[in-house]
Amino acid sequence: MSRPRETAPHGGRALSPAAVRVAPVTCAHCGLPVPPGLVRDGEKEQFCCSGCRQVYTLVREWGFDQYYRLVDQQQGALEPARVTGRSFEDFDDESLQAEATENVGADRRRTRLYLEGVHCTACVWLVEKLPAVLRGLDEVRLNFGSAVAEVTWRPGHTRLSTIGRALDRIGYTPHIHRASRAEEARRTEDRAALARLGVAAACAMNLMFLHGALYAGEHSGMASPYETFFRWLSFVVAVPVMLFSARPFFRTALAGLRTRVVHIDLPVAIALAAAFAASAWNTVRGSGPLWFDSLAMLVAALLGARQVQRSAQRTALERADSLRGVAFLEFARRLTGDGPDAPAVEVPLSALAPGDRVEVRSGELVPVDGVVLSGRSSLDNAVLTGEAAPLTVREGDVVNAGATNLGARLVVRVDAAGDKTRVGSLLSIVQEALSRKPAVLRTTDVMARRFVQALLVLAVVTGAAWLHRGPEVALERVVALLVVACPCALGLSVPLALSVALMRAARSGIFIKNPDALERLRKVDTVLLDKTGTLTEGRATVARWQGEDVVLQFARALEAESAHAVARAFRNSFGRSIWVVRTVEDVVEVPGQGIAGRLDGHDVRVGNRAHVEADGGTVPDDLARFAATVVADGLSPVFVAVDGCVAGVAGIGDALRPDARGTVTALRARGVRVRILSGDHPVVVARVGAELGLPAADALGGLTPEEKRDVVARLVTGTDRAGAVVMVGDGVNDAAALALADVGIAVHGGTGATLVAADVVLTREGVTPLLDILDGARRLRGVIRRNLGISLFYNAGASTLALAGFVGPLLAAVLMPVSSLTVVLSSALARTFAVAGPARRRLDSADRSVEATASLAEGRSAKAEA
Amino acid sequence: METIFVLLPLALLIAAIAVGFFIWAARSGQFDDLETPAVRILFDDEEPRPSATSRASKTTADSTRRVPE
Repeated sequence: MSRPRETAPHGGRALSPAAVRVAPVTCAHCGLPVPPGLVRDGEKEQFCCSGCRQVYTLVREWGFDQYYRLVDQQQGALEPARVTGRSFEDFDDESLQAEATENVGADRRRTRLYLEGVHCTACVWLVEKLPAVLRGLDEVRLNFGSAVAEVTWRPGHTRLSTIGRALDRIGYTPHIHRASRAEEARRTEDRAALARLGVAAACAMNLMFLHGALYAGEHSGMASPYETFFRWLSFVVAVPVMLFSARPFFRTALAGLRTRVVHIDLPVAIALAAAFAASAWNTVRGSGPLWFDSLAMLVAALLGARQVQRSAQRTALERADSLRGVAFLEFARRLTGDGPDAPAVEVPLSALAPGDRVEVRSGELVPVDGVVLSGRSSLDNAVLTGEAAPLTVREGDVVNAGATNLGARLVVRVDAAGDKTRVGSLLSIVQEALSRKPAVLRTTDVMARRFVQALLVLAVVTGAAWLHRGPEVALERVVALLVVACPCALGLSVPLALSVALMRAARSGIFIKNPDALERLRKVDTVLLDKTGTLTEGRATVARWQGEDVVLQFARALEAESAHAVARAFRNSFGRSIWVVRTVEDVVEVPGQGIAGRLDGHDVRVGNRAHVEADGGTVPDDLARFAATVVADGLSPVFVAVDGCVAGVAGIGDALRPDARGTVTALRARGVRVRILSGDHPVVVARVGAELGLPAADALGGLTPEEKRDVVARLVTGTDRAGAVVMVGDGVNDAAALALADVGIAVHGGTGATLVAADVVLTREGVTPLLDILDGARRLRGVIRRNLGISLFYNAGASTLALAGFVGPLLAAVLMPVSSLTVVLSSALARTFAVAGPARRRLDSADRSVEATASLAEGRSAKAEA
Repeated sequence: METIFVLLPLALLIAAIAVGFFIWAARSGQFDDLETPAVRILFDDEEPRPSATSRASKTTADSTRRVPE
């Protein structure tokens, strides 16, 4: 396909003289241009949509004008506000409250809400200001990184639904957030790791002072009671390091031994244990070298490196973890009376029973599996099944939870809700696959095994070589060897190189949740690509256009009046704002044909061929030929006639992303097998495959989510594969496959389930980042190898010195930081991922806060590098 | 010089207390969110209203609050 939208003019391009350009009015809330149709005469503030108007009015009414100044200061660009207008009655449901809220003191309750639409730090200010105007709401604390707010309120004075409505009305849609066990565990582990690092660092520093005195005393003479006193003191200070801070090393080393895997922590644990035992014995007997300072420094340095890696990972994990706590489907509008027009009450899904009737409004997700009782509409199943084309439903048709209602209101009889729905069971498959994901042996662990073997041989040689001086001297030499040969630099190199790579990747729009993924990407065998939403935009757009710009502007202006799928395609492609057309009158929609209207005095018709020809127009030959090529590409042609003259043809459909072809070709050039796994119709998938130059056998269509998962499972367990199996997707139907693949990659705009299931989350449009990830993984491997080289060089040198008997505690204490520093520098300077330039793409608000966290992390990493 | 036998353990004891406070702070989650507090401190209050930070005195400020609608 030729590059889509190439011929399509965008808002900023100069238009032909026939069109009048009106100076844009900007929205008082979000600063985006206001469509002329919405400009209200005589008003000072203008708004681009009703959401922005509502939010702005409320923010002003509550006296929070400062918000807009803060937004300007933070240079945070606002998105048009989204106000759902939900009642949030389901938040007051007793069983839900019992499950998701906790008592604080006698008369207060606390819960956690995930807020949609948190985009810049001014949001923190606004949300935390709410208690000032909401009686009974005591406190709101918003975590900007995860967008989870902790809300404390007094049930005697207000209800959670009131708080929910208030948040919704200022543009933050709240969702009940249930802390998952994984998130809980991670938080506890984070806190414990920090405490361990603090203890290790404090003790290491004090030990350095104490040992400094001892070294100086050795040099210039020190009265023996003082020396004994200092030795005992350093013994006391070293105890917490061994018993508290160093525990993870011993634990993983032991766990590794039990499963017969030599972990990098094993040589560390051996060194720590030998150094501590020898030093403790030397303290008790009052002579011999002490290694307490080296030992504490080693622990502090290794824990410090792991802490850096932790915080680099946190950026990517936090958002995914907070999404994990939010249910994909939260509530349903249950009808509370007879007849299809009975009033609806919002209830949590757990309160639904089979046979209940729920209403699904336009634009909402279908909350349950069931049968349509009344109403006609079209449903978008793209997220669920991968089908790009909307599905028309009417009375008696079966609908599945998770589909988006594109058209009119539906009343659905509940057959299954919650986990019993198809999407619910899909999501539980994801959870199961995630928990079973195997831990992968890292490079350093392979190195560690050889390392331990070499170390043991060296220790025996050293012991034997010095045995002629007595067993005591021999033992001392062996301890010295174990201490200086401890793979401190080896242990530092991987976490540091990784964390620098993670931060650089995050800055270029690639969030790596699971760093093991980079290791697995070393060699890639197959890349499996989802079609709808991954290779394509996942929604209908105007992919092609032939005709004058003015004609296109007319078509856009006319379609702006409609809710039809074609109209949505126009909006998806060009946004809502139209400048050139000032009056739109006499709009008539002809079902199944098109739309007609009078624009600035011209008769404009947009629709199928019959619709434009009904007005007496004929399609010129060049446009007819263009329409034929559009059809051949799998798009639908839409004709535009102005004043009875057919003047333009738009090709509408779910077109391939502009970068899809180049990326697939580049992947294949690297010897990677590329296959398409799609739930869409096999004919459509085959055409896309052919367009990308893939063999027909590699474009699989018509797959159910379960089949997708099975294909991935077969490939992953296959014995003949030459490397990792990578799955790339965006929908709920890909989530299980993503979780099961060696590396799962969720593309920009994916659903929450894929963000949770994937190892890597992209916040940049398109599929080009795939190539960046492969390149980055390759470069990271180079950096790790360089670091390993440095640390092995140091270890070899130090071991030789130890073998020769030159190494005392002082030399060990100096050598260790020097080697570590080299590795730190080598990691910090590595250019693993190319960082994107300052020109930022438009991002949706959820992503922008991820971006913002990334830029905060960027500041942190800059500091760390300095 | 004998005073070192008292002063050094004393110094270590003070250090231990400080480390103890750090452990308490880490365990109670004060280092969980390192980003939001850094930006929260930048927000100045322009009007005299019950502020987000002086929450202790807020229960008494109920009567001055405006209630929506």
